[in-house]
Amino acid sequence: MLEAPAPVMHMLAFDTVGMRYADGTQALHAVSLAVPAGQFCVVLGSSGAGKSTLLRMVNGLVTPSSGTVCVAGVRVEPRALRGVRRRIGMIHQQFNLVQRATVATNVLCGALPEVSTAAALAGCFPAAFRRRACELVAQVGLDERHLHRRVRDLSGGQQQRVGIARAFMLDPAVVIADEPVASLDPRTSREVLDLLKRQARERGTTVLCSLHQVDLAREYADRIVALRHGRIVFDGPPAACQPSVLTAVYGQVPVPHAALREAAS
Amino acid sequence: MSAVGHRTPVRPAAPVRVDGAGPRPPSAWDIPPPYSLRSVAVVLLVALAAFFAAQRVEMGRMLALTGEAALAAVGLRDESQVLSGLDKLAGAMFPLQISERTETARIEGFDPGRLPWLSRLEVIETSEPRLDPDTLKMEDVRTRREYLVQPVGYLRHVALKMLETIEIAFWATLLAVVLSAPLAWCSARNYTFNRATYVTARGIVSLLRAVPELISALFLVLAYGFGPIAGVLALALHACGFLGKFYAEDIETADDKPQEALRAIGANKLKIMRFAVLPQVMPQFVAYTLYVLDRNVRMATVVGLVGAGGIGQELKGRYDMYQYGHVGTILVAIFITVFLLDQLAARLRKRLG
Repeated sequence: MLEAPAPVMHMLAFDTVGMRYADGTQALHAVSLAVPAGQFCVVLGSSGAGKSTLLRMVNGLVTPSSGTVCVAGVRVEPRALRGVRRRIGMIHQQFNLVQRATVATNVLCGALPEVSTAAALAGCFPAAFRRRACELVAQVGLDERHLHRRVRDLSGGQQQRVGIARAFMLDPAVVIADEPVASLDPRTSREVLDLLKRQARERGTTVLCSLHQVDLAREYADRIVALRHGRIVFDGPPAACQPSVLTAVYGQVPVPHAALREAAS
Repeated sequence: MSAVGHRTPVRPAAPVRVDGAGPRPPSAWDIPPPYSLRSVAVVLLVALAAFFAAQRVEMGRMLALTGEAALAAVGLRDESQVLSGLDKLAGAMFPLQISERTETARIEGFDPGRLPWLSRLEVIETSEPRLDPDTLKMEDVRTRREYLVQPVGYLRHVALKMLETIEIAFWATLLAVVLSAPLAWCSARNYTFNRATYVTARGIVSLLRAVPELISALFLVLAYGFGPIAGVLALALHACGFLGKFYAEDIETADDKPQEALRAIGANKLKIMRFAVLPQVMPQFVAYTLYVLDRNVRMATVVGLVGAGGIGQELKGRYDMYQYGHVGTILVAIFITVFLLDQLAARLRKRLG
């Protein structure tokens, strides 16, 4: 790079990012967004609004067709991908755990980028990582007897706890959570978001999280960004996220939404 | 847990366009039968082909001979070519050859003081009249022959050959697993390096699978000489093609979600393979490998027929010398081994499933 990196103002910076998929779908239109360090930023929007695309650009799972994404001042591009990804944890809607492997193995997998390939192939993780994995398993509310159970034997909520433990293995600067509670019941959703928020608070981690539940977003977010058809239609604190805004985000939606609006007001 | 794939952004669904005013009433709907005129035509064509093929492979004669044999078996006919052939064979095979007797003069460095386990010496004296060239008279010439008799000697020999066969199969499987791993990596679309390695690896795998063991053993015997080396290599090459294909297919169809999770944090491909793919596909891998081992034991007896070591070579030798008692012992040994192995493999598979 010829130019010196700009002073880090924001942990995440999207600059006029556009995304057009090969099938012609325009997922994002020139989206600009800056997230300061330590913020819990929730992305709202109906299915297909571009939430996933936006989130997946942070660690380069999706390459924007125009514009740039910077993480801690480093531009996300193929050359820098390795280094960038090591500082980013990711939590998935379907948990994306290895179902046949144990909780311990799944959590340890979060440290894979920092383990030498030879040691990893032999299944040997350094003692420091093993200790850290045990601590994290305890912190996400599981105990020792879960450690050696296979993930497929756990409930959905417990599986997402394992996913969170895995995401925090390397003390990431940023955690992106792609609809982390979309396949969980309301009560478990709250528990998982509580956990995510607490973990992020303690470490000062920046979180970019997409959600479908407006009430949860208003409760947990420091800031809400709403997308509609690939454009940001709202960006502000949860208190400013009024029913009129929701109509702008989701359009005129029938009954379930009406109930939601009542609950919100 | 539901198995929903990763959500890709979708456009809002376009309304279904129906020519005319609107959706058709249910009275206009139809549920066609599950077969069409085309499938009937295909079945008829296959039947026609089967009819002509049957003439070429003498299916009619087969039916006639089998029918004769069945009639003869229940006493409705006097003779049957098939039945008398089987009868003669069974008569020659039983009793099975268990013991072994060898003339001690033929055993190199034979020490009568140290007899092998469970064996004894037998002396047979024979006298036969022979013409003495000096006196031109018939004289009785007594010859004394000493034999080493081992009551279970041949059984032991067959057991050792059987063990060699299993060892050939085991090593062939081991080699196949080791060789097919890189081939599977290169011929899995999501892990191969580039198009060239993909096409090359797929080509090699298909080629290996296309050459039957017996044929490659035939040529490998020419290259490596008689013995187990040719057998091991012939079986390994074929099994490698088989395993390479199936390993690769499993790698391709493994659930991508855990792989994506590790990709997202920057783990390299080897680590992803080790931690996100292998745990998923391990049961299938073990099942394929067990099947290959099972099959290799059976095929190892066959490739022995062309001189590639093991029990097959022994079988071929005895068969060519018309020693059907020995052949019977070998066949029983093969049957017992394959049966036991089948049971063992089934039990292992059940434990894994």
